[in-house]
Amino acid sequence: MRQIIRRRDIVEDELRYPGEPSTAGSVDVHSASEWIAAAVAGSAPGPGAVLLTATDEAEALAEHLAPLRWIVIDFAKIGEGRGYSQARLLRQRYHYARELRARGAIKRDQLFFLARCGFDAFELDPAEDLIAALGALGTFSVAYQGGSDTLVQVRRRLPDAAA
Amino acid sequence: MYRYDQIDQTLVEERVAQFRDQTQRFLAGTLSEDEFRPLRLRNGLYIQRFAPMLRVSIPYGLLSSRQLRMLGSIARRYDRGFGHFTTRQNIQYNWPELEQVPDILADLATVQMHAIQTSGNCIRNITSDHLAGVAPDEIVDPRPYCEIIRQWATLHPEFSYLPRKFKIAVTASAHDRAASEVHDVGVHLKRGADGALGYEILAGGGLGRTPIIGQVIRDYLPQAELLGYLEAILRVYNRHGRRDNIHKARIKILVRALGVQEFRRQVEEEFEANREVAPQLPAAEVARMRAFFEPPAYERLDDIPETSGPGARTASLAPYQAWYRYNTRAHRVSGYRIVFVSLKKHGAAPGDITAAQMEALADLADRYSFGMLRATHDQNLVLADVPQRVLGELWQALEGLELATPNIGTLTDMICCPGLDFCSLANAGSIPIAKQIHARFDDLDYLYDLGPIEIKMSGCMNACGHHHIGHIGILGVDKHGKEWYQITIGGSAAAPAALGEVIGPSVPKEAVADTIAKLLDVYIEERQDEHERFLDTVRRIGVEPFQERVYETDHSPA
Repeated sequence: MRQIIRRRDIVEDELRYPGEPSTAGSVDVHSASEWIAAAVAGSAPGPGAVLLTATDEAEALAEHLAPLRWIVIDFAKIGEGRGYSQARLLRQRYHYARELRARGAIKRDQLFFLARCGFDAFELDPAEDLIAALGALGTFSVAYQGGSDTLVQVRRRLPDAAA
Repeated sequence: MYRYDQIDQTLVEERVAQFRDQTQRFLAGTLSEDEFRPLRLRNGLYIQRFAPMLRVSIPYGLLSSRQLRMLGSIARRYDRGFGHFTTRQNIQYNWPELEQVPDILADLATVQMHAIQTSGNCIRNITSDHLAGVAPDEIVDPRPYCEIIRQWATLHPEFSYLPRKFKIAVTASAHDRAASEVHDVGVHLKRGADGALGYEILAGGGLGRTPIIGQVIRDYLPQAELLGYLEAILRVYNRHGRRDNIHKARIKILVRALGVQEFRRQVEEEFEANREVAPQLPAAEVARMRAFFEPPAYERLDDIPETSGPGARTASLAPYQAWYRYNTRAHRVSGYRIVFVSLKKHGAAPGDITAAQMEALADLADRYSFGMLRATHDQNLVLADVPQRVLGELWQALEGLELATPNIGTLTDMICCPGLDFCSLANAGSIPIAKQIHARFDDLDYLYDLGPIEIKMSGCMNACGHHHIGHIGILGVDKHGKEWYQITIGGSAAAPAALGEVIGPSVPKEAVADTIAKLLDVYIEERQDEHERFLDTVRRIGVEPFQERVYETDHSPA
């Protein structure tokens, strides 16, 4: 079974993406368009999980966040960066508070920035060493910018605006 | 200048440790070349034609003598004894070993320097006016704002994987000495109707293969809202800039595709929506930053006439006077003068400097200019605060170092990229052309008669040498494996910025200087008087007379 980083732990993943075999207790992940269509029709399925691609607009989900337990943002390619802004919007503007997961072409080198943008779960490149990756959450102990992070602790000089 | 506190110092040291780990993983084979590339690039490390190239950040071009000594020491220990100042006020080393780069970065960190975000698809070095703080025409010193933006942009978690590189320039004078109109974002300090400080914001400028002049998207932004507005611009760009084609990924393409009105609307909408959580810039923070850039402890001095400079000790007054006239500028404090250190001597690559020159120059800065220097975007250095009474001594010292070529602002003060000699992107050489031009136009009296002319040259259409905005621009192109050069005239980096016009088919390598000579002949014949600059003549009469001369067929009997 796939292992992921959830907050500061390495855990087994309960999510099942389209095309993967379902197992006892697994949760199906829906595309954003499926989820929104179902929600609009009043038939949003169970404890919801949604996969956002880089071109999905976070805004479109804003009205339909309440039943969601998982939002997975896909980083399809090395250097993909739209997910960082999607995460900031979901956390800061739409106050989504449950699991926000980064998935795809990401390694420990991106973990600190991802965490600062509000991601709290990480489904890394299968070749990545998860224990080493956990250590990368502590790459920096200081930062200049405010963050949406709960996972990393940084010292800053300026307080957040939203006091 | 800005001095690191514990937070800044910790950040650069932790970045060195991170990069050391990344380099080791690459060397051990656990990071692939594709994975390592974006990681090394965002720390200034390219793999070039012969060796890695390391670009070191010089925030807004400001350097202390201690830092310059370190740059010299790095050139000596890790390179082949020289460095190369760039068109964005940084310095590059062309021969470091990959294995040693983490050690170079660790050495840099000891003098509060780094290579963070000097390349890669992220926010690059913030550049500014090399005369900031001493320019007679500035409304306020822009450097505190540069430092504020630098800190905000450094390791920004949301904007570290942008569609493409992102360059910001900040100026505070009517005379734009930072080419801000051809930056992704230009920030112009200005006063509002009520006299309060704020900014005019431009976006969508850039050079490269699609040169575009930036457009104003906010006429006036209050001081406290700078970072919030920049976040809005960057967020719109990060989300909607193209990522499918590297040549269409800069913000200028997004602005052009949307139209400036729609781009502005999206930025303003994002800015408003983000107000509650956007970073603020409290007046206290601006004041804290300003304190780092207080003027040095000037003596009370009277102005001295230029001819008394070198005194009776030197036999030849004329070379000193030429240097004084071309390589020094008026200072706003009486008894002081701004001195340009020319990195454009005949026979050397523009912007190149040796370790010995760096070390000696650091000593001169200590002795004569409060221990500070600036790098200019046209690849020279500046000693900004020199007492007039020591100008003669300083000139002699610079002469001895071959750093006093009296050509600042003249034809041979060329901007030039490393070109085919070093760069793996280049189509053609730049440095050999610079040498060809130097050799052809070595008569200083002729250069002085020509007046101010900016030649800018790039070895490929990526335009690192800013050829589009040269009064004369030279672009290297590859024609069936041979180096050819396309010439443009009428470009300008200074407001109002303008893109040069191509005069016609490209010319072979050996004909570049001859072609320029023909352009200059037309100028000399056509100019209204000696005060009309080359650029003004081009603007007045258009490119046609120049084209005719360059491409005229020789009908004379054989």
